[in-house]
Amino acid sequence: MEIIERYLYQVGKHLPAKGREDILAEIRSHLEDTLDERTNGKPTEEDAVALLKEIGAPRQTAASYNPQSQYLIGPGLYPLFRMVAGIALVATLGAQLLAGVISLWTGSLINAGEFVAGLIASVPSALGWVVVVFMILQASGVQANIDDDWDPRTLPAIDNKEDIKRGDQIFGITAGIILLALLIVMPERIGIYSSLGGEFYSNPVILQYLPWIYASLALGIGFDIYLLWQGRWTIASRAMEIGKDIFSIVVVTMLYKGHAAWLEAHGSSGVVFNLQELPTDLVSNLQLFGMKVFCMAFGIALIVMVAVTISKLVKMIIRALRGAEKV
Amino acid sequence: MKTQTNSEPIENLTQELRRGALPLAVLSMLGENKYGYALISELEECGIKIDQGTLYPMLRRLESQGLLQSSWVVEGTRPRRYYQISVEGSEVLRLLTEEWRHLNQLIEKLLA
Repeated sequence: MEIIERYLYQVGKHLPAKGREDILAEIRSHLEDTLDERTNGKPTEEDAVALLKEIGAPRQTAASYNPQSQYLIGPGLYPLFRMVAGIALVATLGAQLLAGVISLWTGSLINAGEFVAGLIASVPSALGWVVVVFMILQASGVQANIDDDWDPRTLPAIDNKEDIKRGDQIFGITAGIILLALLIVMPERIGIYSSLGGEFYSNPVILQYLPWIYASLALGIGFDIYLLWQGRWTIASRAMEIGKDIFSIVVVTMLYKGHAAWLEAHGSSGVVFNLQELPTDLVSNLQLFGMKVFCMAFGIALIVMVAVTISKLVKMIIRALRGAEKV
Repeated sequence: MKTQTNSEPIENLTQELRRGALPLAVLSMLGENKYGYALISELEECGIKIDQGTLYPMLRRLESQGLLQSSWVVEGTRPRRYYQISVEGSEVLRLLTEEWRHLNQLIEKLLA
Protein backbone atom coordinates (compact mmCIF):
# COMPACT_ATOMS: atom_id res chain seq x y z
CA MET A 1 0.00 0.00 0.00
CA GLU A 2 1.20 3.44 -0.93
CA ILE A 3 0.83 4.91 2.52
CA ILE A 4 2.80 2.05 4.07
CA GLU A 5 5.59 2.50 1.56
CA ARG A 6 5.71 6.20 2.37
CA TYR A 7 5.95 5.38 6.07
CA LEU A 8 8.74 2.88 5.52
CA TYR A 9 10.64 5.37 3.38
CA GLN A 10 10.54 7.92 6.21
CA VAL A 11 11.63 5.35 8.79
CA GLY A 12 14.50 4.42 6.50
CA LYS A 13 15.73 8.02 6.53
CA HIS A 14 16.59 7.70 10.20
CA LEU A 15 18.29 4.34 9.89
CA PRO A 16 21.92 3.72 9.06
CA ALA A 17 22.52 2.19 5.65
CA LYS A 18 23.65 -1.09 7.14
CA GLY A 19 20.67 -3.37 7.66
CA ARG A 20 18.17 -0.75 6.54
CA GLU A 21 16.52 -2.82 3.85
CA ASP A 22 16.28 -5.78 6.18
CA ILE A 23 14.65 -3.78 8.96
CA LEU A 24 12.19 -2.14 6.62
CA ALA A 25 11.26 -5.45 5.02
CA GLU A 26 10.53 -6.89 8.43
CA ILE A 27 8.39 -3.92 9.45
CA ARG A 28 6.51 -4.18 6.15
CA SER A 29 5.76 -7.84 6.67
CA HIS A 30 4.59 -7.12 10.22
CA LEU A 31 2.30 -4.34 9.03
CA GLU A 32 0.85 -6.48 6.26
CA ASP A 33 0.29 -9.43 8.57
CA THR A 34 -1.44 -7.22 11.14
CA LEU A 35 -3.68 -5.59 8.55
CA ASP A 36 -4.60 -8.96 7.09
CA GLU A 37 -5.62 -10.29 10.45
CA ARG A 38 -7.58 -7.21 11.44
CA THR A 39 -9.50 -6.86 8.21
CA ASN A 40 -9.69 -10.45 7.05
CA GLY A 41 -7.49 -9.85 4.05
CA LYS A 42 -9.16 -6.70 2.76
CA PRO A 43 -7.43 -3.71 4.31
CA THR A 44 -8.49 -0.22 3.38
CA GLU A 45 -6.42 2.92 3.62
CA GLU A 46 -8.20 3.87 6.87
CA ASP A 47 -7.13 0.62 8.46
CA ALA A 48 -3.57 1.29 7.41
CA VAL A 49 -3.73 4.84 8.77
CA ALA A 50 -5.06 3.59 12.12
CA LEU A 51 -2.38 0.94 12.36
CA LEU A 52 0.44 3.32 11.46
CA LYS A 53 -0.78 5.73 14.11
CA GLU A 54 -0.59 2.91 16.63
CA ILE A 55 2.90 1.94 15.58
CA GLY A 56 4.13 5.49 16.05
CA ALA A 57 5.91 8.27 14.19
CA PRO A 58 8.66 7.13 11.76
CA ARG A 59 11.36 8.77 13.82
CA GLN A 60 10.34 6.89 16.95
CA THR A 61 10.18 3.59 15.13
CA ALA A 62 13.68 4.14 13.79
CA ALA A 63 14.92 5.20 17.22
CA SER A 64 13.79 1.94 18.79
CA TYR A 65 16.40 0.17 16.67
CA ASN A 66 19.19 2.36 17.94
CA PRO A 67 18.35 4.35 21.08
CA GLN A 68 21.75 6.06 21.28
CA SER A 69 21.20 7.70 17.91
CA GLN A 70 18.57 9.99 19.42
CA TYR A 71 21.16 11.90 21.31
CA LEU A 72 23.24 14.77 20.00
CA ILE A 73 25.52 14.19 22.95
CA GLY A 74 24.50 11.10 24.90
CA PRO A 75 24.53 10.51 28.64
CA GLY A 76 27.84 8.65 28.35
CA LEU A 77 29.71 11.56 26.81
CA TYR A 78 27.85 14.36 28.56
CA PRO A 79 30.01 14.79 31.71
CA LEU A 80 33.16 15.02 29.61
CA PHE A 81 31.41 17.48 27.33
CA ARG A 82 30.48 19.74 30.23
CA MET A 83 34.03 19.77 31.48
CA VAL A 84 35.54 20.53 28.08
CA ALA A 85 32.92 23.16 27.27
CA GLY A 86 33.60 24.93 30.57
CA ILE A 87 37.33 24.96 29.96
CA ALA A 88 36.88 26.15 26.37
CA LEU A 89 34.63 29.02 27.41
CA VAL A 90 36.94 30.19 30.16
CA ALA A 91 39.98 29.95 27.92
CA THR A 92 38.26 31.88 25.14
CA LEU A 93 37.21 34.69 27.48
CA GLY A 94 40.65 34.83 29.06
CA ALA A 95 42.39 34.98 25.71
CA GLN A 96 40.14 37.78 24.52
CA LEU A 97 40.76 39.81 27.66
CA LEU A 98 44.47 39.37 27.19
CA ALA A 99 44.20 40.40 23.55
CA GLY A 100 42.18 43.42 24.59
CA VAL A 101 44.82 44.57 27.03
CA ILE A 102 47.62 44.06 24.54
CA SER A 103 45.80 46.05 21.90
CA LEU A 104 45.17 48.75 24.45
CA TRP A 105 48.87 49.19 25.08
CA THR A 106 49.75 49.10 21.42
CA GLY A 107 47.15 51.74 20.91
CA SER A 108 44.95 49.90 18.50
CA LEU A 109 42.05 49.21 20.81
CA ILE A 110 38.68 49.39 19.15
CA ASN A 111 35.96 51.06 21.11
CA ALA A 112 34.55 49.46 24.23
CA GLY A 113 31.22 48.51 22.67
CA GLU A 114 32.85 46.51 19.93
CA PHE A 115 35.09 44.81 22.45
CA VAL A 116 32.14 43.66 24.56
CA ALA A 117 30.20 42.60 21.48
CA GLY A 118 33.18 40.56 20.34
CA LEU A 119 33.45 38.99 23.75
CA ILE A 120 29.79 37.99 23.74
CA ALA A 121 29.96 36.70 20.18
CA SER A 122 32.88 34.44 21.03
CA VAL A 123 30.81 32.47 23.55
CA PRO A 124 28.45 30.66 21.14
CA SER A 125 31.34 30.24 18.77
CA ALA A 126 33.54 28.44 21.31
CA LEU A 127 30.61 26.37 22.57
CA GLY A 128 29.67 25.50 19.00
CA TRP A 129 33.05 23.98 18.24
CA VAL A 130 32.94 21.84 21.35
CA VAL A 131 29.43 20.67 20.43
CA VAL A 132 30.52 19.76 16.91
CA VAL A 133 33.45 17.71 18.16
CA PHE A 134 31.26 15.86 20.63
CA MET A 135 28.52 15.31 18.05
CA ILE A 136 31.07 13.46 15.96
CA LEU A 137 32.26 11.46 18.95
CA GLN A 138 28.69 10.49 19.82
CA ALA A 139 27.89 9.44 16.29
CA SER A 140 31.00 7.26 16.10
CA GLY A 141 30.06 5.53 19.33
CA VAL A 142 33.10 6.69 21.26
CA GLN A 143 32.91 6.03 24.99
CA ALA A 144 34.24 8.36 27.62
CA ASN A 145 35.53 6.86 30.82
CA ILE A 146 36.84 9.86 32.70
CA ASP A 147 35.62 8.60 36.04
CA ASP A 148 36.74 5.01 35.64
CA ASP A 149 39.97 5.09 37.62
CA TRP A 150 39.21 7.81 40.06
CA ASP A 151 41.07 7.36 43.32
CA PRO A 152 39.36 8.33 46.59
CA ARG A 153 42.73 9.45 47.86
CA THR A 154 42.84 12.24 45.32
CA LEU A 155 39.67 13.89 46.61
CA PRO A 156 40.47 17.51 47.44
CA ALA A 157 40.40 18.57 51.07
CA ILE A 158 37.45 20.53 52.31
CA ASP A 159 38.36 24.16 52.49
CA ASN A 160 36.29 26.98 53.78
CA LYS A 161 37.29 29.19 50.91
CA GLU A 162 33.92 28.27 49.48
CA ASP A 163 32.19 30.14 52.24
CA ILE A 164 31.83 33.82 51.71
CA LYS A 165 33.36 35.95 54.39
CA ARG A 166 30.58 38.27 55.39
CA GLY A 167 33.03 40.92 56.43
CA ASP A 168 34.33 41.30 52.90
CA GLN A 169 30.87 41.67 51.42
CA ILE A 170 29.64 44.09 54.04
CA PHE A 171 32.73 46.25 53.59
CA GLY A 172 32.31 46.15 49.83
CA ILE A 173 28.64 47.10 50.02
CA THR A 174 29.26 49.93 52.43
CA ALA A 175 32.20 51.37 50.51
CA GLY A 176 30.29 51.01 47.26
CA ILE A 177 27.24 52.80 48.59
CA ILE A 178 29.30 55.65 49.99
CA LEU A 179 31.18 56.09 46.74
CA LEU A 180 28.00 55.89 44.73
CA ALA A 181 26.33 58.45 46.95
CA LEU A 182 29.30 60.80 46.60
CA LEU A 183 29.22 60.47 42.86
CA ILE A 184 25.52 61.06 42.66
CA VAL A 185 25.34 64.04 44.97
CA MET A 186 28.49 65.90 44.07
CA PRO A 187 30.34 64.43 41.13
CA GLU A 188 31.71 67.78 40.18
CA ARG A 189 33.63 67.86 43.44
CA ILE A 190 35.75 64.91 42.40
CA GLY A 191 38.79 66.48 40.92
CA ILE A 192 42.03 68.14 41.60
CA TYR A 193 42.47 70.21 44.70
CA SER A 194 45.37 72.45 45.23
CA SER A 195 46.67 73.20 48.68
CA LEU A 196 48.84 75.96 47.27
CA GLY A 197 46.49 78.43 45.77
CA GLY A 198 43.16 76.95 46.80
CA GLU A 199 42.34 76.17 43.20
CA PHE A 200 40.01 73.43 42.21
CA TYR A 201 39.47 71.74 38.92
CA SER A 202 36.78 69.18 38.40
CA ASN A 203 37.53 66.12 36.36
CA PRO A 204 35.58 66.42 33.13
CA VAL A 205 36.28 62.91 31.99
CA ILE A 206 34.72 61.40 35.08
CA LEU A 207 31.71 63.65 34.63
CA GLN A 208 31.41 62.50 31.06
CA TYR A 209 31.36 58.82 31.94
CA LEU A 210 29.28 59.15 35.09
CA PRO A 211 26.43 56.82 34.03
CA TRP A 212 28.91 54.05 33.29
CA ILE A 213 30.55 54.50 36.67
CA TYR A 214 27.14 54.37 38.34
CA ALA A 215 26.34 51.16 36.49
CA SER A 216 29.62 49.53 37.44
CA LEU A 217 29.28 50.46 41.10
CA ALA A 218 25.64 49.41 41.19
CA LEU A 219 26.57 46.08 39.63
CA GLY A 220 29.27 45.55 42.23
CA ILE A 221 26.97 46.42 45.11
CA GLY A 222 24.18 44.24 43.76
CA PHE A 223 26.57 41.33 43.33
CA ASP A 224 27.91 41.72 46.89
CA ILE A 225 24.38 41.70 48.25
CA TYR A 226 23.64 38.57 46.22
CA LEU A 227 26.73 36.84 47.58
CA LEU A 228 25.83 37.81 51.12
CA TRP A 229 22.40 36.27 50.62
CA GLN A 230 23.76 33.09 49.03
CA GLY A 231 26.38 32.36 51.66
CA ARG A 232 28.65 30.26 49.48
CA TRP A 233 30.08 30.29 46.02
CA THR A 234 28.35 28.41 43.25
CA ILE A 235 29.22 27.89 39.62
CA ALA A 236 26.58 30.47 38.72
CA SER A 237 27.94 33.13 41.04
CA ARG A 238 31.49 32.53 39.81
CA ALA A 239 30.26 33.14 36.29
CA MET A 240 28.43 36.29 37.39
CA GLU A 241 31.57 37.51 39.07
CA ILE A 242 33.50 37.16 35.85
CA GLY A 243 30.77 39.04 34.00
CA LYS A 244 30.79 41.84 36.55
CA ASP A 245 34.58 42.01 36.41
CA ILE A 246 34.58 42.25 32.65
CA PHE A 247 32.05 45.07 32.79
CA SER A 248 34.16 46.97 35.30
CA ILE A 249 37.22 46.44 33.14
CA VAL A 250 35.38 47.91 30.19
CA VAL A 251 34.35 50.97 32.23
CA VAL A 252 37.86 51.53 33.55
CA THR A 253 39.17 51.15 30.01
CA MET A 254 36.81 53.86 28.86
CA LEU A 255 37.89 56.13 31.69
CA TYR A 256 41.53 55.52 30.90
CA LYS A 257 41.04 56.18 27.23
CA GLY A 258 38.96 59.22 28.03
CA HIS A 259 41.74 60.67 30.11
CA ALA A 260 44.35 59.91 27.48
CA ALA A 261 42.20 61.60 24.86
CA TRP A 262 41.66 64.64 27.08
CA LEU A 263 45.38 64.90 27.68
CA GLU A 264 46.03 64.70 23.94
CA ALA A 265 43.53 67.43 23.32
CA HIS A 266 45.09 69.67 25.93
CA GLY A 267 48.55 69.43 24.56
CA SER A 268 50.16 67.04 26.92
CA SER A 269 51.30 63.92 25.24
CA GLY A 270 52.09 60.69 26.95
CA VAL A 271 50.74 59.12 30.03
CA VAL A 272 53.94 58.80 31.93
CA PHE A 273 55.48 61.80 33.54
CA ASN A 274 58.34 63.45 31.81
CA LEU A 275 60.85 64.24 34.55
CA GLN A 276 61.89 67.53 33.02
CA GLU A 277 58.33 68.68 32.66
CA LEU A 278 57.51 67.77 36.19
CA PRO A 279 58.24 70.97 38.14
CA THR A 280 56.80 73.20 35.43
CA ASP A 281 53.77 70.99 35.07
CA LEU A 282 53.01 71.21 38.72
CA VAL A 283 53.23 74.93 39.00
CA SER A 284 51.97 76.16 35.68
CA ASN A 285 49.20 73.80 35.02
CA LEU A 286 47.77 72.03 38.00
CA GLN A 287 44.86 70.66 36.08
CA LEU A 288 47.07 69.02 33.49
CA PHE A 289 49.17 67.47 36.20
CA GLY A 290 46.13 66.26 38.07
CA MET A 291 44.59 64.72 35.00
CA LYS A 292 47.81 62.92 34.30
CA VAL A 293 47.68 61.46 37.78
CA PHE A 294 44.12 60.31 37.20
CA CYS A 295 45.11 58.80 33.87
CA MET A 296 47.99 56.87 35.34
CA ALA A 297 45.85 55.71 38.23
CA PHE A 298 43.20 54.36 35.90
CA GLY A 299 45.85 52.74 33.74
CA ILE A 300 47.37 50.96 36.69
CA ALA A 301 43.93 49.97 37.99
CA LEU A 302 43.17 48.52 34.58
CA ILE A 303 46.29 46.38 34.52
CA VAL A 304 45.61 45.12 38.03
CA MET A 305 41.97 44.33 37.29
CA VAL A 306 42.80 42.43 34.14
CA ALA A 307 45.55 40.50 35.89
CA VAL A 308 43.21 39.58 38.75
CA THR A 309 40.43 38.53 36.38
CA ILE A 310 42.78 36.40 34.32
CA SER A 311 44.11 34.73 37.44
CA LYS A 312 40.52 34.02 38.50
CA LEU A 313 39.86 32.44 35.12
CA VAL A 314 43.02 30.35 35.36
CA LYS A 315 41.98 29.15 38.81
CA MET A 316 38.60 28.17 37.41
CA ILE A 317 40.27 26.09 34.70
CA ILE A 318 42.48 24.35 37.23
CA ARG A 319 39.51 23.58 39.41
CA ALA A 320 37.60 22.25 36.44
CA LEU A 321 40.49 19.99 35.48
CA ARG A 322 40.77 18.62 38.97
CA GLY A 323 37.16 17.60 39.21
CA ALA A 324 33.97 18.68 37.57
CA GLU A 325 31.92 18.88 40.75
CA LYS A 326 34.15 21.21 42.71
CA VAL A 327 33.38 24.87 42.21
CA MET B 1 -4.10 -7.23 37.77
CA LYS B 2 -5.54 -3.85 36.91
CA THR B 3 -3.44 -0.79 37.54
CA GLN B 4 -5.12 2.56 38.01
CA THR B 5 -4.43 5.16 35.39
CA ASN B 6 -3.30 7.73 37.92
CA SER B 7 -0.53 5.61 39.36
CA GLU B 8 2.18 6.15 36.80
CA PRO B 9 5.06 5.27 39.10
CA ILE B 10 3.49 1.88 39.74
CA GLU B 11 3.06 1.32 36.02
CA ASN B 12 6.67 2.23 35.41
CA LEU B 13 7.90 -0.15 38.08
CA THR B 14 5.80 -3.06 36.80
CA GLN B 15 6.96 -2.33 33.28
CA GLU B 16 10.56 -2.41 34.43
CA LEU B 17 9.96 -5.72 36.15
CA ARG B 18 8.60 -7.23 32.96
CA ARG B 19 11.21 -5.67 30.71
CA GLY B 20 13.95 -7.65 32.40
CA ALA B 21 12.15 -10.94 31.82
CA LEU B 22 11.29 -10.37 28.16
CA PRO B 23 14.48 -11.66 26.51
CA LEU B 24 14.16 -14.83 28.58
CA ALA B 25 10.55 -15.27 27.50
CA VAL B 26 11.39 -14.67 23.85
CA LEU B 27 14.34 -17.05 23.83
CA SER B 28 12.25 -19.73 25.45
CA MET B 29 9.71 -19.58 22.63
CA LEU B 30 12.18 -19.79 19.77
CA GLY B 31 13.00 -23.48 20.02
CA GLU B 32 11.22 -23.70 16.67
CA ASN B 33 11.52 -21.41 13.68
CA LYS B 34 9.07 -18.55 14.05
CA TYR B 35 8.49 -15.11 12.59
CA GLY B 36 7.91 -11.94 14.51
CA TYR B 37 4.21 -11.49 14.09
CA ALA B 38 3.42 -15.05 15.11
CA LEU B 39 5.67 -14.66 18.12
CA ILE B 40 3.75 -11.58 19.23
CA SER B 41 0.45 -13.46 18.99
CA GLU B 42 1.80 -16.48 20.85
CA LEU B 43 3.22 -14.35 23.64
CA GLU B 44 -0.10 -12.58 23.95
CA GLU B 45 -1.89 -15.89 24.28
CA CYS B 46 0.46 -16.67 27.16
CA GLY B 47 -0.48 -13.38 28.76
CA ILE B 48 2.66 -11.47 27.84
CA LYS B 49 1.93 -8.33 25.93
CA ILE B 50 4.78 -7.01 23.82
CA ASP B 51 4.62 -4.46 21.04
CA GLN B 52 6.44 -4.55 17.74
CA GLY B 53 8.60 -1.58 18.71
CA THR B 54 10.12 -3.71 21.46
CA LEU B 55 10.15 -7.18 19.92
CA TYR B 56 11.74 -6.62 16.52
CA PRO B 57 14.71 -4.56 17.76
CA MET B 58 15.19 -7.17 20.49
CA LEU B 59 15.20 -10.02 17.95
CA ARG B 60 17.85 -8.19 15.92
CA ARG B 61 19.91 -7.54 19.03
CA LEU B 62 19.74 -11.17 20.12
CA GLU B 63 20.73 -12.23 16.64
CA SER B 64 23.66 -9.82 16.55
CA GLN B 65 24.77 -11.34 19.86
CA GLY B 66 24.74 -14.80 18.25
CA LEU B 67 21.84 -16.19 20.28
CA LEU B 68 19.48 -16.45 17.33
CA GLN B 69 19.76 -17.28 13.69
CA SER B 70 17.43 -15.86 11.08
CA SER B 71 16.43 -16.53 7.52
CA TRP B 72 14.02 -15.04 5.03
CA VAL B 73 11.27 -17.38 3.90
CA VAL B 74 8.94 -16.45 1.07
CA GLU B 75 5.37 -17.72 1.40
CA GLY B 76 3.43 -16.88 -1.68
CA THR B 77 4.27 -13.25 -2.36
CA ARG B 78 5.15 -12.42 1.20
CA PRO B 79 8.68 -12.72 2.52
CA ARG B 80 8.97 -13.25 6.25
CA ARG B 81 11.93 -13.26 8.54
CA TYR B 82 12.08 -16.38 10.64
CA TYR B 83 14.10 -16.68 13.83
CA GLN B 84 15.30 -19.69 15.71
CA ILE B 85 17.47 -20.16 18.74
CA SER B 86 21.09 -21.02 17.98
CA VAL B 87 23.35 -23.44 19.80
CA GLU B 88 24.92 -20.60 21.74
CA GLY B 89 21.43 -19.28 22.39
CA SER B 90 20.29 -22.55 23.89
CA GLU B 91 23.18 -22.51 26.29
CA VAL B 92 22.40 -18.91 27.26
CA LEU B 93 18.75 -19.82 27.72
CA ARG B 94 19.73 -22.59 30.08
CA LEU B 95 21.89 -20.22 32.13
CA LEU B 96 19.25 -17.52 32.14
CA THR B 97 16.60 -19.99 33.29
CA GLU B 98 18.80 -21.04 36.19
CA GLU B 99 19.43 -17.43 37.02
CA TRP B 100 15.71 -16.66 36.88
CA ARG B 101 14.79 -19.51 39.19
CA HIS B 102 17.57 -18.60 41.58
CA LEU B 103 16.54 -14.97 41.64
CA ASN B 104 12.95 -15.99 42.18
CA GLN B 105 13.95 -18.03 45.21
CA LEU B 106 15.93 -15.18 46.71
CA ILE B 107 13.15 -12.68 46.28
CA GLU B 108 10.51 -15.02 47.61
CA LYS B 109 12.63 -15.41 50.69
CA LEU B 110 12.90 -11.67 51.08
CA LEU B 111 9.16 -11.22 50.71
CA ALA B 112 8.29 -13.96 53.16
